[in-house]
Amino acid sequence: MTLLSAHNVFKTYRLGRVDVPVLRGATLRVQRSEFVAVLGSSGSGKSTLLHLLGGLDRPDKGSGVEGGSGGAVVYNGKPLSELGASGLDAYRSREVGFVFQFYHLLPELTVLQNVASGAMIRHGLVGYRVNKPKVEAWARELLASFGLGHRLRHRPAELSGGERQRVAIARALVNDPPVLLADEPTGNLDRKTGASILDALLEHRRATGRTMVLVTHDAEVAARADRIVRLDDGLVVTGP
Amino acid sequence: MYQALLIFKYLTSKVMPLLAAAAVMLCTAMVLIVWSVMGGFLVMLLGSGRTLMGDVSITWPVIGFGHYGELIDRLEADPMVAAATPIVETIGSLSLPDGRISMVLVNGIDGPGYARVTGYEDSLWWKPLAAPLPKDKDRRDWRLEDPDGDAGFWKRAYQDGLALSKQDEATGVSRPAAVLGIELSSFNRRDPGGWYQPLHWDVRAEDGSIRLETGPTFILKRTVTLNVIPLTRQGRSVNSVARVLPVANEFKSGVFDIDAKKMFIPLATLQEMLKMDQAGRVAPPIDPYELEIGEDGEETFIEAEPTAIAPARVTSVLVRAKDGVSPEALKDQVRAVYVAFERDHKGQVPHADRGGIHIQTWREAQGVMVAAVEKETLLVLFILWFISLVASVLILAIFWAMISEKTKDIGILRSMGASKGGIAGLWLIYGLVIGLIGSALGLGVAHAIVWNINPIHEWMGRALNVQIWNPEIYYFTLIPSRVRPDHAAIVFAAGVGFSVLGALIPAVRAANMDPVRSLRFE
Repeated sequence: MTLLSAHNVFKTYRLGRVDVPVLRGATLRVQRSEFVAVLGSSGSGKSTLLHLLGGLDRPDKGSGVEGGSGGAVVYNGKPLSELGASGLDAYRSREVGFVFQFYHLLPELTVLQNVASGAMIRHGLVGYRVNKPKVEAWARELLASFGLGHRLRHRPAELSGGERQRVAIARALVNDPPVLLADEPTGNLDRKTGASILDALLEHRRATGRTMVLVTHDAEVAARADRIVRLDDGLVVTGP
Repeated sequence: MYQALLIFKYLTSKVMPLLAAAAVMLCTAMVLIVWSVMGGFLVMLLGSGRTLMGDVSITWPVIGFGHYGELIDRLEADPMVAAATPIVETIGSLSLPDGRISMVLVNGIDGPGYARVTGYEDSLWWKPLAAPLPKDKDRRDWRLEDPDGDAGFWKRAYQDGLALSKQDEATGVSRPAAVLGIELSSFNRRDPGGWYQPLHWDVRAEDGSIRLETGPTFILKRTVTLNVIPLTRQGRSVNSVARVLPVANEFKSGVFDIDAKKMFIPLATLQEMLKMDQAGRVAPPIDPYELEIGEDGEETFIEAEPTAIAPARVTSVLVRAKDGVSPEALKDQVRAVYVAFERDHKGQVPHADRGGIHIQTWREAQGVMVAAVEKETLLVLFILWFISLVASVLILAIFWAMISEKTKDIGILRSMGASKGGIAGLWLIYGLVIGLIGSALGLGVAHAIVWNINPIHEWMGRALNVQIWNPEIYYFTLIPSRVRPDHAAIVFAAGVGFSVLGALIPAVRAANMDPVRSLRFE
């Protein structure tokens, strides 16, 4: 059963006076509990596709839709284009979790606060106050499962690259989203650390059955996925 | 929740927000200090007017008007009137014991009556003092102890001042006496703590006790000579009249100009000197050279018999309102009383119509000065508020820079589901918090400075030889030192408002940032 899909999406960025087409009608279907790796070289549009799947960006107008579902990116049968701004915010908060290549942790916050920040956004001021004990216990458990139980009060600057990425993964999972979107999660790490991060991700996925889309340029990393799709020049050339 | 956490973290880990809060603090403090001093100046100005002239005055200057006793009786019978009193106001020259001659504003008053209408009783300076003034930590005020070992000296001085009379030490007869403005004689030295000491006085320790002795220039032991020029009812001058008067006491109104130029003497004395007392009126003789032969056979000129009595005159009647009656309401009532009074004395007293007798409230009497100070205050505040916009612009610049620095954080938050409103709220609340902190500190600083503005000014005078507040220019001897709560509230709210205003444009910019571009920001 398809949980998340992109249908013939186009995306063009404007660099100065030049339009740079990044996606030229890419199509991808991700089944529930599936781990899909999107493999492509630098500039092939992998991250852009991930951003569109995660509702962080919208496809260009005029993107085609297969099956007349009414939207270019469809989640759980519903096109994201039908969601308003607040609906899209809620989608990013509850349904997907992002892991970035460069960790993107908030430098002023501690490890625990970084992980809890996703829950703070989701629950709001009052809701978070009510759920704080539960959320923090869950955040601690997540961090402990990634081997960071002893680093709760440290700041990101005090952590190694691998530890930072583990924190970023824990943050992406704190709201228990059905989909995890990982953008080159090992790209900024040495091979050994990258492998350990991937191991942690896969271990977690095995335990939870969470749907995962991972983009990478590393075929070795991609090989660990259930399915590989290749993105070349803005088009999915293998798959979908 | 994430907004509160991030604001706290940004506040405690960055220097820039502290600079913004400092800018808000300085601006709010600056505005409140100036507003307090200038507003206080205005309040003192208005208050001094009321202290010295009651609520409403009825005035016919120079020549004055008669039948004032009857007018006062009518006024005091009115339920809106607490008391009324007559005064004569003129200009004279005063010869002081040191040989100096000053032009003075002379007020002839009935001491107890004047005290019922004005704050005269409280303004008398030389009187027994039960406790030292707040700033007199060392009990240096002379009034705390009777001088010369003369028990009851200050009490007598106070009673003499109230009655405007003084007993002649040689004959034991009471004589009319003068009460001078405390700055008039130059025989006193103003202490920075707010009290006065005679220029020369001795403190001698005898058997461990302290004895105060009045020196040769203690004004209460001297006399002054007052010269005035009486005028006829037609305004022509008559020969000047001089009178030597002992000094019964001195007064301090707090208004430098008045304390340096005004003196009081008994009403009857001044009326007599100005020929404004009751007099017989005679018809001019038909033949001024007609003679009559007396019983002793001597020829003498015929003395004209008085045909009428010219009543004593005063230049003003001052009226005090009963509690709860506004000066404006009292003024209308006083005018109504005067209209009836004038109707009964047609042609004998100034008419009540426009261009006739002056009936005005204490605020109207000070109108020109009050309007000038009010306009000056408004102008200065306008300029200061305009300058305060600088704080707003500064916050805008600081927030703009911070948002540029935090572009990636904004992308991260958006990727986690933070809404545009949430991001805008983060920076607006941040601006609000900086405004609250800066304004609160500003209020604290302003309060501390205004509260201690006179000691600070005195210190500047001693240490830096700088005198900003010259009482000869600024009217009052002390700088106003009270912060009005409503002014503080307005300045606080404005400080917060300017901060939020400064944060508004950066907040909108942050909210509208493209999350993908933000995440890629380096």
